[in-house]
Amino acid sequence: MKKWKSLMIGAVAAALAVTAAGCSSSSTEEEQVLNIYSWADNFNPDVIKDFEQKYNVKVNYDIYGSNEEMLAKIQAGASGYDLIQPSDYMVATMIKLGLLEELNKENIPNEKNIVSTFQTPPFDPGNKHSLVYTWGITGIAYNKKYVKGEITSWQDLWNPEYKGRVIMLNDPREVMGVGLIKNGFSNSTKDKGELEKAFADLKTLLPSVVAFDTDNIKQKMIAEEAWIGTVWSGDAAIINGENPDVEYVVPKEGATIWADTLAIPKGAKHKELAEKFINYLMDPEVSVKNYEWIGYSNPNEKAYPLHSEEYRANKMIFLDKEDMARAEWLVDVGDTLQEYDRYWTEMKSGR
Amino acid sequence: MVAGRRGDAHLKNGKQLKILALPAFVWLGALFVLPMLMITALSFMKRGTYGQVVYEFTLNNYARMIDPLYIQIFFDTFLVAVLTTAISLVCAYPMAYYISRMDRSAQKIWLLLVMIPFWINFLVRSYAWVIILRSQGVINTFLLSTGLIQEPLPLLYNFGSVMVGMVYTLLPFMVLPIYVSLEQLDRRKLEAAYDLGATPWKTFWHVTLPLTKSGVITGSILVFVSSIGMFVVPDVMGGAKSALMGNVIQNQFLSARDWPFGSALSIVLMLLSMVLIYLYYRAVNAAEAKEGTA
Repeated sequence: MKKWKSLMIGAVAAALAVTAAGCSSSSTEEEQVLNIYSWADNFNPDVIKDFEQKYNVKVNYDIYGSNEEMLAKIQAGASGYDLIQPSDYMVATMIKLGLLEELNKENIPNEKNIVSTFQTPPFDPGNKHSLVYTWGITGIAYNKKYVKGEITSWQDLWNPEYKGRVIMLNDPREVMGVGLIKNGFSNSTKDKGELEKAFADLKTLLPSVVAFDTDNIKQKMIAEEAWIGTVWSGDAAIINGENPDVEYVVPKEGATIWADTLAIPKGAKHKELAEKFINYLMDPEVSVKNYEWIGYSNPNEKAYPLHSEEYRANKMIFLDKEDMARAEWLVDVGDTLQEYDRYWTEMKSGR
Repeated sequence: MVAGRRGDAHLKNGKQLKILALPAFVWLGALFVLPMLMITALSFMKRGTYGQVVYEFTLNNYARMIDPLYIQIFFDTFLVAVLTTAISLVCAYPMAYYISRMDRSAQKIWLLLVMIPFWINFLVRSYAWVIILRSQGVINTFLLSTGLIQEPLPLLYNFGSVMVGMVYTLLPFMVLPIYVSLEQLDRRKLEAAYDLGATPWKTFWHVTLPLTKSGVITGSILVFVSSIGMFVVPDVMGGAKSALMGNVIQNQFLSARDWPFGSALSIVLMLLSMVLIYLYYRAVNAAEAKEGTA
């Protein structure tokens, strides 16, 4: 019985460590190594394998779940990463904090393949530190089985018929963005009156919300747990592939456009190799293989005619020009983020 | 017990005992005390415009907490923690009692069953609950097919599902310590009580319960402390709709990029839990003292 007791104490102690910590891999210097720190499933594994073989290098691929997680690791220094994929607003923040290397464009001749719309994004004008990799628009996804009639406006989320079936992204800027855009304001306002108005509006939506979710929003839409909600265009394409009843629309008031980029953190040990990899990814044929696997929109203009008919015809992947014209980038709001966060906390306080 | 103590006597003189404590001491010093001090220091710093930490002294992070919003969330957090502890205690005690009364081989099997959930990652088990409770989930599909209900029941993403998840996750922490104290219980004392004419209920109330007090206290503190910092269950099973303090703190370190405020919230949460645990400890002891004089 003694043995059992000590075993039990061990089990309790082990269970106390509920949180798991991720570790990064270290690099061996003999062969050239490229250390990537990115989102999950953000590359076709075959594309990485091809690159490894072609240039006789080794690629390590670590993943993060949020921009802030990545920022914390890069800020701590000596992360050992050569290539990261911050989103738009995070690029701006990291440039201001001096955490990104300038890209040497001489090593990235394929840069010219990027569609002109993404050559001068407001978060990094002139693409000095970053290049757009994947992008999309946060619009409304809805299930035709339950949602009758045409969906055109953010106001449709407030329809009492969908009470308890509305899903929202679990992200303060995205959700506040919906409230702000619906009321005709900028999604990155610093005006307290506008924020307050957007919040008051969103508060009336809360009783309809079934859940806030980013990581598993796809499953909730596929399983018809939620009927309507705010979904990224690329995610909508994936949902639609599994559940063809789910449609997607960019509301008439406008929406938030976002991008994940390719960037190099300050002090990266293999900067040149990272640039070589970026250039490789922007090769038209490579990008076709890569993006059809990821299922997100390819910003590579030269690759367009090479894509399959099915991929090109998908409206959730290739958004209309008019939809894009209405979309607005999120911009870092500096100290006002505290206001956003307080409203977010209040929305989630369950009252 | 007495014999054991006498056997250890030769170790008591001098450095040998200290050496025994050294590994744990170093471990806690490096991995608990140091981070603790850093969090405390951080809680008096400022947030820079872009979320960096500015090393200037301020009390503002604590002043910001004097806001009905945060006070309410502190209150909700403690309410959920107290409820979780109480429900766990009520469920765990009879179960531990039952296990302690079985023969040795059956006990081993039952204890194994209590511990088996730990072999599977906690997050995975939470998602398993989602599959069971969601509107196209196991329960609703079954009830719909039997014709008992016409519309799926809203079993998920509410206060009830959060409580189910909390108690499910933390119940073993209550069962195991209570079981250990019941197992150590000197049965002769129970026989003495019966011999003196006490009813089973009276025996339980005046003999068994006071003698297993240490298990109840240990279990309660383990469950209470774990539920105070919980953020996975409200997110996954509550639909991230009613944030507990754990969620608010997590948010400060992620989307709000306000580490100083997050640190200050952590410190206050910790101090408040310590006060509550102390009060609980005192209340249990006071009840026992009263019991002694009665």
